[in-house]
Amino acid sequence: MITSIAHATIYVLNQDEALDFYKNKLGFEVGDDMKVEGGFRWLTVYPKSNSQLQLVLAEPKEGPMFSKDAADKIRSLVKEGAFGAGVFETENCQKTYDALVAKGVEFMQPPTEQLYGIEAMGVDNSGNWFSLVQR
Amino acid sequence: MATSYKLTRLKAGRDYIADNFQTPLSLADMAQQAYLSPYHFLRVFKHTYGETPNEFLIRLRVEQAKKMLITENYSISEVCEHVGYTSLGSFSSLFLKQTGMAPTLYRRKLWALSAEPFCFPARAIPACYAFHFLGK
Repeated sequence: MITSIAHATIYVLNQDEALDFYKNKLGFEVGDDMKVEGGFRWLTVYPKSNSQLQLVLAEPKEGPMFSKDAADKIRSLVKEGAFGAGVFETENCQKTYDALVAKGVEFMQPPTEQLYGIEAMGVDNSGNWFSLVQR
Repeated sequence: MATSYKLTRLKAGRDYIADNFQTPLSLADMAQQAYLSPYHFLRVFKHTYGETPNEFLIRLRVEQAKKMLITENYSISEVCEHVGYTSLGSFSSLFLKQTGMAPTLYRRKLWALSAEPFCFPARAIPACYAFHFLGK
């Protein structure tokens, strides 16, 4: 039986810039930040209150699994906003939204009543959109 | 302070703990090595060494776990078993209490302190990612 999800990947254009966004704008903690063989940087972040799911901030680069063409295509799709980082939960959507806007986080949708709660929709500094939901 | 003969017995009990901390140990087991009743062993041990036999046992286990977390590639569950615990939850709680951080975080922090860029083993990264990004 699978009991939980430990890691999920967000493709980012630049790991330093993504780290700045997720750490200093969204307030996430750094899980791992280390370079391994071949210069690959293993970088994970997680919300302060929950380290169970680590988000892997990965740069699509030419390597074992990506051809240069594939890496370029993914980078292009990230820029276009084709990917979503997922849903981030908050106890108070409006308050969190206001705090993030004050830090310069870009939102495509302000807090809005939905059937499942109050939801705002933002975008990270690579182009990945995310929902901010208060249930 | 324990008298000389009691100190000798206490040392036998303490040595027994040090030699066998990687296996499950009860207070009765420890006291038996010192030929003292469990309660008496506990009280004199604490009075003499400043910590209870169980605190001494935990300290030894956590120290060993710390070494293994830094120098070996064992999983946290394997480290837990190697230092004498059967419950991962109990081990993690005790480790957290002793060091101020969970075993996984302790390992990450220590690894992250290294200035060497290529020294981290690929096994530290989940295999699907290592395969995806490192080809191994």
